[in-house]
Amino acid sequence: MKSTSPQLSVPTEQRVFGWIDAAVMLALFSLLWSTLHFGKGMLVHFDDTVVLQIDSSPSQIPYYAGRTLLRMWIAFSFSLFFAILTGYLAAKSKTARTFILPALDVLQSVPVLGFLSATVTGFMALFPGSLMGVECAAIFAIFTGQVWNMAFGFYHSMVTIPTDMQEAASTYGLSPWQRFKTVELPASAHSLIWNSMMSFGGGWFFVAQSEAISVMNKDIKLPGLGSYMAAAIEKGDNTAALWAVVAMVVLIMASDQLVWRPLLAWADKFKIELTESATPATSWVYNLLRGAYVFTWFDEKVVQPLTDALSKVSLPVPAKATVLRKSHQRLIWRVLGLVVGLWVAFEVLSGLLAALQVLHGTLSLDLVLHVIWLGFLTLLRVAAMTVLATLIWTPIGVWIGFQPSVARFAQPLAQIGASFPVNMTFPIVVGFFVMAHISMNWGSILLIAMGTQWYILFNVIAGAMAIPNDLKEASRVYGLRDWNLWKTMILPAIFPFWVTGACTAAGGAWNASIVAELATWGDTTLKADGLGAYIADVTKTGDTPMIILSIAVMSLFVVLMNKFLWRKLYAFAELRFRLD
Amino acid sequence: MKPQEIAHPVAELNAVSKSFKTAGGHELKVLENIDLVVNQGELLAVLGQSGSGKSTILRCLTGLIEPSSGRAMADGKALDGVNPNASVVFQTFALYPWLTVEQNVAVGLMAHKVSRADRDAAVDKAIELIGLGNYHAAYPRELSGGMRQRVGIARALVSQPKLLCLDEAFSALDVLTAENLRQELISLWRSKENGLSSIFMVTHNITEAVEMANRIVVVFPRPGRLGLVLDNPLPYPRDTNSPEFQRLVSIIHESITTMTLPDLPAEVPVAGQPISRGRSRMESIPFVPVGQILGLMSILNDSPDLSNIYDISDEIGKEFGDTISIVKAAEILELVDTPKQDVRLTELGKKFVASDRVGRRTIFSEQVFKLRLFHIIIALLHENEEVEADRVIKDIASALPYDNPERVFQTMIAWGRYAGLMDINNKTRMVFVPEEDEEAA
Repeated sequence: MKSTSPQLSVPTEQRVFGWIDAAVMLALFSLLWSTLHFGKGMLVHFDDTVVLQIDSSPSQIPYYAGRTLLRMWIAFSFSLFFAILTGYLAAKSKTARTFILPALDVLQSVPVLGFLSATVTGFMALFPGSLMGVECAAIFAIFTGQVWNMAFGFYHSMVTIPTDMQEAASTYGLSPWQRFKTVELPASAHSLIWNSMMSFGGGWFFVAQSEAISVMNKDIKLPGLGSYMAAAIEKGDNTAALWAVVAMVVLIMASDQLVWRPLLAWADKFKIELTESATPATSWVYNLLRGAYVFTWFDEKVVQPLTDALSKVSLPVPAKATVLRKSHQRLIWRVLGLVVGLWVAFEVLSGLLAALQVLHGTLSLDLVLHVIWLGFLTLLRVAAMTVLATLIWTPIGVWIGFQPSVARFAQPLAQIGASFPVNMTFPIVVGFFVMAHISMNWGSILLIAMGTQWYILFNVIAGAMAIPNDLKEASRVYGLRDWNLWKTMILPAIFPFWVTGACTAAGGAWNASIVAELATWGDTTLKADGLGAYIADVTKTGDTPMIILSIAVMSLFVVLMNKFLWRKLYAFAELRFRLD
Repeated sequence: MKPQEIAHPVAELNAVSKSFKTAGGHELKVLENIDLVVNQGELLAVLGQSGSGKSTILRCLTGLIEPSSGRAMADGKALDGVNPNASVVFQTFALYPWLTVEQNVAVGLMAHKVSRADRDAAVDKAIELIGLGNYHAAYPRELSGGMRQRVGIARALVSQPKLLCLDEAFSALDVLTAENLRQELISLWRSKENGLSSIFMVTHNITEAVEMANRIVVVFPRPGRLGLVLDNPLPYPRDTNSPEFQRLVSIIHESITTMTLPDLPAEVPVAGQPISRGRSRMESIPFVPVGQILGLMSILNDSPDLSNIYDISDEIGKEFGDTISIVKAAEILELVDTPKQDVRLTELGKKFVASDRVGRRTIFSEQVFKLRLFHIIIALLHENEEVEADRVIKDIASALPYDNPERVFQTMIAWGRYAGLMDINNKTRMVFVPEEDEEAA
């Protein structure tokens, strides 16, 4: 270690192994063991005529939780890889961008759950006689639930890297890989981790849903917390159901505390501003890990010699000779892009043709109009949820945001609330509806809101917290109170945040409607008139033309909403209410 | 000529032109027909106001951007991609905040095939050389601006480039830090021991250029083209207060002033037409807020002794280039006259200063009304109640091909608002004539 002058806040790294290193090693080995242990369960034989029995004794919960968690992380790894790949391509190549961006935009509007029937059958055919097929379908559902947002986020941070940083990399002749690992990945790290955390939180909903599904008139269950909950409710075992909820909360909080918070605290150094942040993210785990020598040791003793050896083997030419030949590179990229583009176009076209073939002859105008009418009903529900949640949570969120001490713990709580897969608890709420004779047409609004309202809440909290102190002081000096205060300061200041929250909530609400408009409590099945219930119905019976039609209509609704409402609101917020 | 005196070009631009598309989609010519050679061992400064295209020259020279026509050469060969033998020190430092000082400097060697030990040694040497000895493990955000730029310079020097380029490298620093760093860099360059032989710098600071460079090229804007080329034989270290130094500075001042504020020959009056330079030809307007024009007027009025444009620049604490812009704006409006290096209030200017708020606005409005450029909008507004901003911008673009039409438009709206002649509704993007309010009536 070289000398560092004392006034600098450079952490002095320890050069010896300590107890924390032992703990880290232990944790790593137990992680490896559990991956293997839970992973083994994914490869067992599977027969789709026999419904998997879920052991509802609480002692089995850790195993089921492990299976669910493993599924989440596998899906997340794929999402991360895919997000970085597509985001990178879109940022680097103009041609790729013209394909990727609109594709991502449409794909993120497609209700994932409607696809389950197609993907489950597809993956089961891919792995005949193995549980792997169903596992893959579940993982795929989680993947499609989180990846688009992450890809967009990565693309956005790639293109907002300051020009001078990119130019510096160019003048020093960094290769694309060196540029990626020295400049582009670090510059995007903070937003990538933040987006990952949010997407991972959204993933719980899909994992819980995809573990216990009925498609093509078959009940398929995967061992996991979601199916455990479903089994417990089927049996009316309230204690087991409660345990499942507790386990879920523990899983979510553990992921937050052990993975995301430390990552966020670590990512603070990747922020692009050169000023020290006033309230840096903190994490006790991160503080502990900083004391560990094992990472430094690993870097010095394993990674560095390895990269040295690799670089000696791969490129024994002097650097001065490796002048970038731009024109050659461009040609290679063009050809590659063309091949990939043609392939994607072919896939999309053949998919469309296949869909049209299925639809041909089975559709009538009446049917299409009926589905659109159902979509309209669900739209009303989504709108009602957004308005109600806004009316209820805006005052509360602002109040919380104005009290830093409350906000500090309320905001992570709201985030956990948003992560919790409320669809696990729908049957219980539906039971209450049955007893209270509440029509599902109204009740489903509550079910939809249960999962999505939190996005509005924590964005409003964030907005209220972001109001600069001088604005607050000014409003106090001029004696603004009540409606005047809300009208002149609070509402405009939180508006951009509200738009983000409401847009996410509404997007999630469409997906949630598929599980919220049709729910079962014991033997009673309650159903609302709406597109969500319709999709759930046709998925269960495996009516392919209707699945295609209903999903297409729902996607269309979402795309139109985005284009004509949310984009406009975003642009308006950006133009009028930006606080800088 | 003795062989060692033959100039060896390290980098050159041959007939380089460059156009960009503005945000509004208009083609904007930034550089026109630039011929420039950086010779082995020289310290060449390109001097120009902001927006003159001097940074674009640097980017073409290093291969960061490709010229629209003409070509960039390095060591006598045409450049394809970035020049591997040049490095750049950026105005904004362009350090990577997630890397320590050491790691940032090592980025300069990343593309080079050197062993870890050699690399560490080179990084150490560069860090010591530039006086960052105790800061190896610090992160950029822990350093002051001056220290950050030292890291930027160390990173640029670590690979011992044939050509070091400075892109306004000192303008983000405070005066003392900048002066200190300039001196250190000059002595590094003069010692010739560290492989640093040729430096190419762009700056808007005249004193900085005269202090450092042994050849100075002045760029004139819209579109960027080379003006005065000046050898600077003053011995180092240079005393900024010496008469020789001051003489060079004033030569450059003069060249910029006469280029920007030419003494026009008197026009032949035409019967029934007021004499106005604004009427006689289409002329762009400097992007200056009205408040600064008003400020200049009251300073000139308050200090009758103040007439030299350099003294005015000192007095108002603005860069020379900015001062020229403000003076030019006032001159276009016929509020001041600029014989040689002087700035004097015209009769109209005196009347303007003596008037009250309404009177000033009336004079301003009359003067703006005389400008040919404004007739683009005024004529349209005469026919229609409202005019689309995009249409106006398009007309400006065709009338003034070397100006950024969006910026011209914004300045016009700002002046027009003060004059009460026009205003824009930013929601509909429509330009309209505001109703006369009682105050103005």
